[in-house]
Amino acid sequence: MIMGEAGSQENSSRLLMQLEHILGSDPLIDEVGFIHPTQLMALNGGSTGSLDVSAHGSQHSSDHVVETDILQPNSSVFWIKDHKLAISTQALLPLHNAAKHAFTTALRQYKMLHNICTKTDRLVDETVSNRTLASENLPESEVMKHSKSLLLLSCDFGSAWNARKLVLSKNQQLSLFMDELLLSALILSYSPKSDFAWTHRRWVIKTISGKCPNMQEIVEKESKLVENIAEKLKMNYRAWCHRCWLIPYMAKEQMLSELTKSKQWAELHVADNSCFHYRRKLMLRIIEDSCSRQLPEFCFNHVPDLYQMWKEELDWDETLIRRFIGREALWVHRRFLSQCWIKHFVSDLQGAFCHSKNHPGISHDVHSFMYNEMQLFHACLTVLDDEFEDGQAQATLAAAYILWVSKQIPQSQGIKLEDMLRELGGLKTLLNKLCPFRAQLWDGLMS
Amino acid sequence: MGELEMEKHVRYILTIEKKKDDFVSLVIEHLRINGAYWGLTTLDLLGKIETIDQDEVVSWVMKCQDESGGFAGNIGHDPHILYTLSAVQILALLDKLDVLDIDKVSNYVAGLQNEDGSFSGDIWGEVDTRFSYIAICCLSILRRLEKINVEKAVDFVVRCKNLDGGFGSTPGGESHAGQIFCCVGALALTGSLHHIDRDLLGWWLCERQVKSGGLNGRPEKLPDVCYSWWVLSSLVMIDRVHWIDKEKLARFILDCQDKENGGISDRPDDAVDVFHTYFGVAGLSLLEYPGVKAIDPAYALPVDVVNKIIFKK
Ligand SMILES: [Zn+2]
Repeated sequence: MIMGEAGSQENSSRLLMQLEHILGSDPLIDEVGFIHPTQLMALNGGSTGSLDVSAHGSQHSSDHVVETDILQPNSSVFWIKDHKLAISTQALLPLHNAAKHAFTTALRQYKMLHNICTKTDRLVDETVSNRTLASENLPESEVMKHSKSLLLLSCDFGSAWNARKLVLSKNQQLSLFMDELLLSALILSYSPKSDFAWTHRRWVIKTISGKCPNMQEIVEKESKLVENIAEKLKMNYRAWCHRCWLIPYMAKEQMLSELTKSKQWAELHVADNSCFHYRRKLMLRIIEDSCSRQLPEFCFNHVPDLYQMWKEELDWDETLIRRFIGREALWVHRRFLSQCWIKHFVSDLQGAFCHSKNHPGISHDVHSFMYNEMQLFHACLTVLDDEFEDGQAQATLAAAYILWVSKQIPQSQGIKLEDMLRELGGLKTLLNKLCPFRAQLWDGLMS
Repeated sequence: MGELEMEKHVRYILTIEKKKDDFVSLVIEHLRINGAYWGLTTLDLLGKIETIDQDEVVSWVMKCQDESGGFAGNIGHDPHILYTLSAVQILALLDKLDVLDIDKVSNYVAGLQNEDGSFSGDIWGEVDTRFSYIAICCLSILRRLEKINVEKAVDFVVRCKNLDGGFGSTPGGESHAGQIFCCVGALALTGSLHHIDRDLLGWWLCERQVKSGGLNGRPEKLPDVCYSWWVLSSLVMIDRVHWIDKEKLARFILDCQDKENGGISDRPDDAVDVFHTYFGVAGLSLLEYPGVKAIDPAYALPVDVVNKIIFKK
């Protein structure tokens, strides 16, 4: 029994060495998969040639002498080709245990050494740092190596992410920070929801933001990464939060280009509320940047552009609503657009941008706005004729939307909207009929 | 409609602890303390907390404490505010808060407040409204709310409010039922609910209920038992719970039970886990299901525990 356990422990640390050798030899691995042992066997299909990772890189000059055959990856556990790595699910448990053990040991040593260094700093300062970088670097590279293996196997092992932050915060080499972006991107490619991985990226970006000359490029790449990951897993809240978080790092031009890019994406993913939310956030930020901290005249000059942007978004959203029947995210977006439209552009209300002067070609009229929305509403009711569930959903969403818009127009303004909104009484009946399980809600909102 | 399988859920929770060495339990070992909180609270709501060895739990929880005062998700891991709240809630549940160095824990939590009133999750500085709730809840249980700048903390939460009435994880973040629970909870515990437009937020929350009766967490998502807790507790706190169809929701939760082996899943016929078992039972508690103890929507602890600890009743 004991012999067997010791044997398997030895075996698992050998597997870990092999994994770390693979990772060290090919820093460009961009995909990791955990697959069933029989699948892995099939992939390796007798040709062990693809397993010769030492052919990929020769950076391992010093340790290379050490037992090359031990480092030769076990073909029933690993498969690697074209920077893609597959690991047998059967090996996950022993690999995880070995990685965790190696990581914990390395971190303990690193912390011990670091404590000694900081305590004796004053006495030996120069000598310590000059003595041998290699021996001082050893524990930290061990921490980096083992935490990487551990995180590839178990992406939510927070202490391993933290250990990397600790090492990096003492080092400050820009290239090392870039490596962190690669590692977390690799992990996100198969664990797209990993909160720890997203958090780690934000920490990296925050840390380098003051020192990095090409921030704009990094932010662009970051945004693209979110798009790729959002493509693989729809409605990924953490991913889109990350993209929203990037906005304050963007210049106006970049925000405008993000709006253009995300438009195409949104058209292909009309149910993904997160993408529409990203657009809302961009639009609000553009308004803020154009207006809040500027002089009123400056803001005034921007009104035609902003008006145009809003008008186009409203029209675009309407086109999508008419094309894709019963999509909640499109109506959520419309609620937002109308709310801001009424707040900012409708002159006879509290419109913040309307001041006294008028811009030619800009309609500030709430009546014509409402007229259009009612047209849309009626058009959506006719879809009811078909028996599909989507038609019913569309009618419900349209009716709830009209209720929403009516609540955005302050009653104190004494506007003659009664003609249009007289139908509100009928609206309650309609909503109760369309969506009876929300009867208490409609009652609460309209009593 | 079936009944709530209380006995089976109790048995299910008591057996999870025994499975420790498969890969799945390994990859979640870092949040074992959250799991302990979910399991123990469920047991208490079902009136069976005395079936576990309380001293064993307390001594294990205390081994998760770091020298900083914060708690880790398991022995030997790094501390985080997420796990610190679970530790404090477990000790409150077992009426063992006296084993804590209250000032040490509350200093750890208070030390995570930032200049703008927000809270970091740990020393590495990630900000999220979840952490605001956790800090406020933790310090309320420990009766040390005065250690933070409550006004600024509230300001930050209010800055995360969206035009749709909901709240996100940071200013401008998308509204999400889980984040809304945290923000409403933080405002409730600090007596700041006047910052909320109850009709507007109530509307958003009620639109989470879908035809099957279940609740989702955001527009266009599938219903999921865990939102029974996040949406319902928020509705209770803003006094709009009468706007949803409670009966349909209760039926949805009951349909997610594993009637053979116990436990509750996210949706009917999915695999059960302790997380959804807790949220299902807690949801039924808010729906006043007979035989389940009442739970406090802000503290996420049984009402009798809150009364004893907070109000010294
Ligand atoms: Zn869930």
